Amino acid sequence: MELNSTAGSRPPVARMASLALRLVRAGWLRDLAPLLTLVVLTLIVAAREPAFVSERNLLNVADASAPLFLLALGETVIILMGSIDLSLHTIASLSSVLAALWINQLGPFAAPAGVIAGTACGFINGLLYTRLRIPSFITTLGTFGLWKGIALTISNAQPVPIPTKIGGSFGWLKGDSLGFPNTAWTGLAMLVITFVVLRHTALGRYIYAIGIGEQATWLSGVPVQRYKLAAFTLAGFCAGLAGVVLVAQLRSGGPSLADSLLLPAIAAVIVGGTAITGGIGGVARTLIGALIIIVARVGMDSAGVDIFAQQMVYGVIVIVAVTLTIDRSKIAMVK
Amino acid sequence: MSDQSAGVALEVEGLVKQFPGVTALDDVGLSLRENEVLGLVGENGAGKSTLMKVLAGIYQPDAGTIRLRGRIVRPQNVRQAVGYGIAMVFQEQSLLPNIGVAENVFLGNEDQFIRFGVIDWSAMHEAARRQLAKVELDLDPRTYTAELGFAQRQLVELAKAMTIEDRTRENPIILLDEPTSVLAQGEIDLLFAQVRRLKARAAFIFVSHRLDEVLALSDRILVMKDAEVVAERDPAATTAEELYRLMVGRERHAEYYRESEQVPYDPERVILGVTDLGVDGAYQDVGFEVHAGEVVALCGVVGSGREAVCRTLAGALPPDHGTVTLEGRQLRFASPRDAVAHGVAYVPMERRVEGVVPYLTIAENITLPDLRPVSRLGVLNLHRENRLGREWIRRLSIRATGPRTNAVNLSGGNQQKVVLAKWLACQPRVLVLDHPTRGLDVGAKEDVYALVREVSRQGVGVVLTSDTLEEAIGLSHTVLVMKDGQIVHRFDGRTSKPRQVDIVSHML
Repeated sequence: MELNSTAGSRPPVARMASLALRLVRAGWLRDLAPLLTLVVLTLIVAAREPAFVSERNLLNVADASAPLFLLALGETVIILMGSIDLSLHTIASLSSVLAALWINQLGPFAAPAGVIAGTACGFINGLLYTRLRIPSFITTLGTFGLWKGIALTISNAQPVPIPTKIGGSFGWLKGDSLGFPNTAWTGLAMLVITFVVLRHTALGRYIYAIGIGEQATWLSGVPVQRYKLAAFTLAGFCAGLAGVVLVAQLRSGGPSLADSLLLPAIAAVIVGGTAITGGIGGVARTLIGALIIIVARVGMDSAGVDIFAQQMVYGVIVIVAVTLTIDRSKIAMVK
Repeated sequence: MSDQSAGVALEVEGLVKQFPGVTALDDVGLSLRENEVLGLVGENGAGKSTLMKVLAGIYQPDAGTIRLRGRIVRPQNVRQAVGYGIAMVFQEQSLLPNIGVAENVFLGNEDQFIRFGVIDWSAMHEAARRQLAKVELDLDPRTYTAELGFAQRQLVELAKAMTIEDRTRENPIILLDEPTSVLAQGEIDLLFAQVRRLKARAAFIFVSHRLDEVLALSDRILVMKDAEVVAERDPAATTAEELYRLMVGRERHAEYYRESEQVPYDPERVILGVTDLGVDGAYQDVGFEVHAGEVVALCGVVGSGREAVCRTLAGALPPDHGTVTLEGRQLRFASPRDAVAHGVAYVPMERRVEGVVPYLTIAENITLPDLRPVSRLGVLNLHRENRLGREWIRRLSIRATGPRTNAVNLSGGNQQKVVLAKWLACQPRVLVLDHPTRGLDVGAKEDVYALVREVSRQGVGVVLTSDTLEEAIGLSHTVLVMKDGQIVHRFDGRTSKPRQVDIVSHML
């Protein structure tokens, strides 16, 4: 026999908050929230700046965001595996420096060479991680310094300009195809490639498996270290590609070109709904996450928020997104 | 307080603790008298550890009461439990190795030595010396803990637990959780001598798998089974065998294990040979043979090393000495990849963490070891994979809506079937089953038994560890008994199956 409870008289805010919390726990937030956020954000920015949704502007935005998106793709692969790569942006910068320097010797092959260099850096990241068996956080923190140092040394800490009249791959990257910037086509192509790799190849399957349950995967006879190495190499490829795209866009390579891109790249992955603990998510989610970051950036630009303050915003976004989507059952003790 | 509770230090009534999918404590009650050592025994999963952790404040019960000398207490965490005078000496040595002994003894309780924000080390060392004297440990309290041997560390832990004596007016209650698992015999005697001395000013609950130790140290013994307390015994009036029977005792039904389906194996065809196998600290000098179609059961109590042997066969625990041969060829078992390549399949004990990959689908779990059958030129054919999944769901009667169900959404029994399907799809030559029916309901167990019979008929060699003796006896052709890391007896069950009591006598 209960006393007549005051059911229904809880303030609506409290009830909505508890409903939201239940939805979060049910995983709905991870699935729906990113898309909703993107739509809402776009509407807000478009309301303020109607020019934002003009075709010309959208194409410019697509072009400008390609390097960020490529880095985010590489980071997605690593994060899905349950690791993190803090050096991808420095790989991009290093690739940009190398590609720009090699224009004279290699001509049209300078850009592919830059991408190969980036891939090699990713391979070395993976090698150190799998051989030394220390957390990827620490490995890539170390290589972050390594790649940056090498880039600064060989470029004399200066941008490396490329000739204005340039053909070959750089020339292609600066152009359009079917009205769409080629840099954006590159990003799209990489999206399709990584999507297919993740969903339809052994490498992709094992990346997910390692991210969800490395022990069970290992005990099933899967050569886990080998696939981790492959994943880091793939991420290096994406970073190398990002660096080469930057060279085409900025007409020069430079040791600090991609510096401001790491944080938004990771934010794009997490905000898109890929769990930082690994195993859940994918590159389609990263696309939405990257679009959110890009629209947010445009919004902040137009609102006059300076570029350093924008980094603060990305940082806050990462913290909030991770808090909401982290899988606590995986990490008993948070260090 | 009434006369009935005079002399009762701790009383537990109706304790219930549930975890997702399992009831760990089901209406548990006990009473601990002042100045007594209460022994607590039971199989893995019987609930002893959970009970201790509830008393120590690590878990909170879902229902029930804990009465400390008549007063109801509800420790929300370890600190509160210590405040009530209940301290636990942990199984896996909770001392921090990189600090001094005195600091470990007073870990978390340094306040009493802090003057103006700074620790008074000489006061702490003095106090530590007094604590160590309680357990007759003559040691410089500044000694680096890492330099101590296991026995000394265990005594330091005991001294640490006894510090609560100074903080409560009543006698402390000390919970000893498997304190002897890492100690040698002489060291165990030392520990027990201290406990007997301290009985004068404390009450103890002593949990151990080593029944002879429990019999030696306890004043009373409680037996737990399946989350309940099932019996109480006076150590002077019982034996290890009786305790074991109370812990485990179930009637053996021959048909349950389909013994009629057991076919003899070919004694000429040796599929797996193990010689002088050893892993430092786990087992040594292990040698046996498994014939095609033979089911070999490894029996032993916790610490016997049988699970470690299974893990070596799985490639997860490379041996320090000895060899493993498959069909006569000596092979390397340095990683699970080696084992799988050689045709050895391992069904692990920790199903949820090591058996299935939870957020992969049934089909994806099944193809995990080898994606080649479902891929062409490096591209996965998801349709074919799901077809394969459906086929195995049918063959093993896995209860799921389809091959695209995530493994995490299946019951324990069905998850185990997915693990078995994964390995059967690889056509292994040896199947290593580590506690394969743990946590499964009766129906699922029967399905597993049927599978074991079938693979045995097909000529696969099976190595099995089991939760219960009668399961091991029922399923196997051969029983190997392990104790303290060595094989101590071999029972050839071809003509007649061994009796439980015979096996137990070798296990203990």
